[in-house]
Amino acid sequence: MGGIQVGNLCHNVGSAARTMMDTMDAIRNILADQFWFSIVLGLVVFGGIQGAVAYAILLERKISAWTQDRYGPNRVGPYGILQPIADGLKFFLKEDIIPANVDKALFIFAPWMIFVVALVGFAVIPWGGSFKWGWMEATAKPMVVQVASVDIGLLYIVAVSSLSVYGVVLGGWASNNKYSFYGAIRAAAQMLSYEVPMGMCLMAAILMTGSLRLEEMVDWQARHGWAVMYHPIAALVLFITALAEANRMPFDLAESEQELIGGYHTEYSALKLALFFLAEYSHMITSSAMMICIFFGGYLVPGWEWLNTTPTFGAALVRVAVFAFKIFLFICLYMLIRWTIPRFRFDQLMRLAWKGLVPMTMTLVAAQGLVLYMGWSQWTTTAVNIGVFLFGGFVSVAGGKAVTGRQLSLRRAEAMG
Amino acid sequence: MPKIIVDGKEIECRDKIPVLQAVLEAGGDVPHYCYHPGLSIVASCRLCLMEMKMPNPKTKAMEWTPRLFPSCQTPVKDGLEVRFESDKVKDNQTHCMEYFLLNHPLDCPVCDQAGECYLQDYSLKFGESTSRMVEPKNKNPKKDIGSKTLLYADRCVMCSRCVRFCNEVAGTGELAIINRGSRAEIDVFPGVPLENKLQGNVVDICPVGCLLDKDFLMQQRVWFLKSADSVCAGCSAGCTITVDANEGKVWRLKPRYNPGVNDWWMCDEGRFGFKYVHDPRRLNRLTVRRGAELDYPDWSALPEIVTLRLESVVKKDGAGSVAVVLSPFMACEEAWMLASMVRCIAPQAALVCGPAPMVGEDEAFPKGGNGHPAKFMIRAEKCPNKRGIEMIIAGLGGPTLSFTDFLKQAGEKKIAAAWIVGGSPTEWVGDDLKKALGHIALVIAQDIFPSAVTDAATVIVPSCSWAERSGCFVNVDGKIQPFEAGINPIEGCQRDGNYLYAVFGGEGLYSAEKVRALMAKQMPAFGQLHVPPPVPEHAH
Amino acid sequence: MTAKPDWKQTDIIHVDQPELSMTERMYLPQIFGGMKTTLRHMFKKKLRDETVVQYPEQKRQLRKEIYRGVHRLNRDDQGRVACVACFMCETACPAHCIHIEGAESPWPDREKYPIKFDIDELRCIYCGMCEEACPVDAIELTPEYHLVGGSREEMIFDKEKLLNIFDRTKDEKPRKNPNITGY
Repeated sequence: MGGIQVGNLCHNVGSAARTMMDTMDAIRNILADQFWFSIVLGLVVFGGIQGAVAYAILLERKISAWTQDRYGPNRVGPYGILQPIADGLKFFLKEDIIPANVDKALFIFAPWMIFVVALVGFAVIPWGGSFKWGWMEATAKPMVVQVASVDIGLLYIVAVSSLSVYGVVLGGWASNNKYSFYGAIRAAAQMLSYEVPMGMCLMAAILMTGSLRLEEMVDWQARHGWAVMYHPIAALVLFITALAEANRMPFDLAESEQELIGGYHTEYSALKLALFFLAEYSHMITSSAMMICIFFGGYLVPGWEWLNTTPTFGAALVRVAVFAFKIFLFICLYMLIRWTIPRFRFDQLMRLAWKGLVPMTMTLVAAQGLVLYMGWSQWTTTAVNIGVFLFGGFVSVAGGKAVTGRQLSLRRAEAMG
Repeated sequence: MPKIIVDGKEIECRDKIPVLQAVLEAGGDVPHYCYHPGLSIVASCRLCLMEMKMPNPKTKAMEWTPRLFPSCQTPVKDGLEVRFESDKVKDNQTHCMEYFLLNHPLDCPVCDQAGECYLQDYSLKFGESTSRMVEPKNKNPKKDIGSKTLLYADRCVMCSRCVRFCNEVAGTGELAIINRGSRAEIDVFPGVPLENKLQGNVVDICPVGCLLDKDFLMQQRVWFLKSADSVCAGCSAGCTITVDANEGKVWRLKPRYNPGVNDWWMCDEGRFGFKYVHDPRRLNRLTVRRGAELDYPDWSALPEIVTLRLESVVKKDGAGSVAVVLSPFMACEEAWMLASMVRCIAPQAALVCGPAPMVGEDEAFPKGGNGHPAKFMIRAEKCPNKRGIEMIIAGLGGPTLSFTDFLKQAGEKKIAAAWIVGGSPTEWVGDDLKKALGHIALVIAQDIFPSAVTDAATVIVPSCSWAERSGCFVNVDGKIQPFEAGINPIEGCQRDGNYLYAVFGGEGLYSAEKVRALMAKQMPAFGQLHVPPPVPEHAH
Repeated sequence: MTAKPDWKQTDIIHVDQPELSMTERMYLPQIFGGMKTTLRHMFKKKLRDETVVQYPEQKRQLRKEIYRGVHRLNRDDQGRVACVACFMCETACPAHCIHIEGAESPWPDREKYPIKFDIDELRCIYCGMCEEACPVDAIELTPEYHLVGGSREEMIFDKEKLLNIFDRTKDEKPRKNPNITGY
């Protein structure tokens, strides 16, 4: 009787082990399939970004505190590291006020729109190149650490991120508040204006690398070195426009507190307000990722050739880590700039875009085209970049007017007619 | 009109007035305590002294006289030349001020007069900033001299205005100055307290905080009060007053100079008779009775409610069965709007002048005037606007009824609907009216207190006291005097003018002037208002 | 009618904005300069250790004689409220947060006293005008600043509460002029 029981037990154990093996195989098959892998990766990225955004807010509070000789949040958990959780809880538990005379449908829709738009941009970011699982055959197609590898990756990012202005405009319009509406109008004008130089910068990069796929751009940089070497000014302008697109200081005219209370999100509270913040920080992460891919070598580290060539999962993880670290540095730079540079006036903002950045970047695109056509060395564009910057400085000195629209004194204005 | 020269400037003035009065009327400021235009002149305070040009007895040339003359005692004469801007006059003013302040306690923070005190004003303008007095100050007792008045003897400046008032205007002479010199005091005779019907005026004319009103004592500081020019609703004399209110509460009434009506005075009955304004028993909800149930509609529904109800009565019983009892407590504008509106619905509606309460007989002051014309009258007719209502009724024409006829017709069931306006602070519904009410199907009552009329009414419209309303009253002499609202209506009430204007169907918001202009087209008399002349600062 | 201006054309002083240097015009070098400052503060822990007061655990050192915290109503030497209900503080108060009701005092040496004295501590802007205006130094601001309440009504301090604050703080900050007794 006991033997039967033991036998049954063994049988059970065996079948359990078999079942487990089957499950493992199933999981392996799923992970080895690019379609399912992308879905898993998408979920991981989504979760990761949410966490990153929460901690980006903490980081911002910390950095702002440190630059102002304060400590920042330090009560929730050691050094305040649990603060994002407390903040999140607070946002969830607060009363969600919908004012009486707002356009209710749009009012509720706007934050979700801006939030979703800010997140979908992550789909085409190449987080860590490609790799093969240990159990895969040598001839199998390698896995790509990217949610969607599409031919028009860069265009997709540009298209999606420029949609975010809709969220701002809808929020401002639906709030039925003049300050919100002012904020929305400013945001719209600003984003449209800064998309022009941004597009120019991207165009230069596209011409140079000959691809719209971000992963191919990274590959190009693996062969030729970081693109920032060839187009330093384009990289700088792209960074400036990224600040403007994310409505960050010194371009946060859409929500300038001193003038517009809170700008487009004046009337928002609780979760909806949180969504606006999440969107802003997500946007920062997307734009940093994009810039890193295009100009700062993506997951590449100069001198670490093995990182790009090793096709193992571990190497892919390291690549992702490198990428994340670069994003972290960019985010820090964003925040540092916020606490360094005061806000532009709106006319200065426009002048900077249309009279400064657009001509400069147009020159760069023309130069890049010429280089390609004539087959000159790529280093020529570096010289052109530096030349453009110095010429811009010379024009501003010789023209007597700074690019930022500094006002002349009355007497000088009179003298100049 | 004589012309005098004051400080080199020629001013034109009324005849037979003192120089002081002429200068005050011309806009100057001459310090004075004892002079009051309504009282006899004693020239005792010596503060208004001036220099005057007179012929030198030796050379016969016009020269500034070496001595000073009291400007309150010098009548104006054509060509008279005086000056106040000389060092001599100014020295006199400062020295007099120093004497006045010798024994005056520095208790302005707790003195009710502070803020409207002549001593404070003159001390700032004409006095020294410090006192040289080092001895302890005389301390005189606080005296309870009458039922409504307190006397703080140490604040007194011995101007004797109160004594003269009691002698000359009230004619009762209770007050007197006892002792002499620095021990002089105002006091009453033993066993004869200050008990006349005008005693509140001694508080008004006291230039300092010596005589104070027990009712107002320590209630408010005067600079918090906002004054509205009003007319007393206590009797048909129509004394012009100011309603002094703060934060929605009437704190006191003060007489306003009005020559030929009340001059500078008002009676205690009127002065302290405003307490009913803040009576908690006042009606404060628009009420419609539906059977046994009470309904409280919004004020905006009032025009529809009354129009529909009156129209249904007119349809059933004819236009002649409607009557409007206009109260002598209403302003002329309100009465006119109400009567016109009812006449629109029921052209044959009868207009009735409501009962005017009569208490005793007209009382003339000073008491025992020996045939001299009275300086002040308290009327027996204790309502402000009987003449005005009579004017409106006569002006509108059409069917009218006396109040007794109205009662008789109601008793004969000839009246189916009546809009009855009350507004009296006292119980005013007599037994005959109570009896008649039972025969009227639709009673619209407009009153400030619950009464037999409101008990019988289908629609109860809470009314406002005169302090919350604006309009005009016609006094016993036929003078049409406008008055302003001193406070906002109590919670739940609306100004009678406001809702009557809505019922009347006027455009925009109610203002008494606008309605008066409309009335003047029908009744030209209302184009002429009696408004007293403005009073210069420190005039009395 | 044009009034003659009481200033001359020569009185106007033209203040020119300073000319921008080359680096200022090019903007970028200045930004790096600014970021240097920001970074310097970011990494100097000593600076924040010196300046930050960790509030509930640490407290600031106040100058008790001049700090403008919650009000108190002083008592005179006989323990009576020193206020004479002159309404000067109510008059001076720019926030209209003081409400007094005066009455004849029950004491022979005083004329008037407050039967009600309410200060709306939420309305108050702690400017100290009431203290300035008081002729008998009856109202004073104390160094107490941790002022909390669960409701608006609770934050309207009445006479008793204000007198209690005096009892609580009289050792910490004695009455300025104890000799003034009133009128």
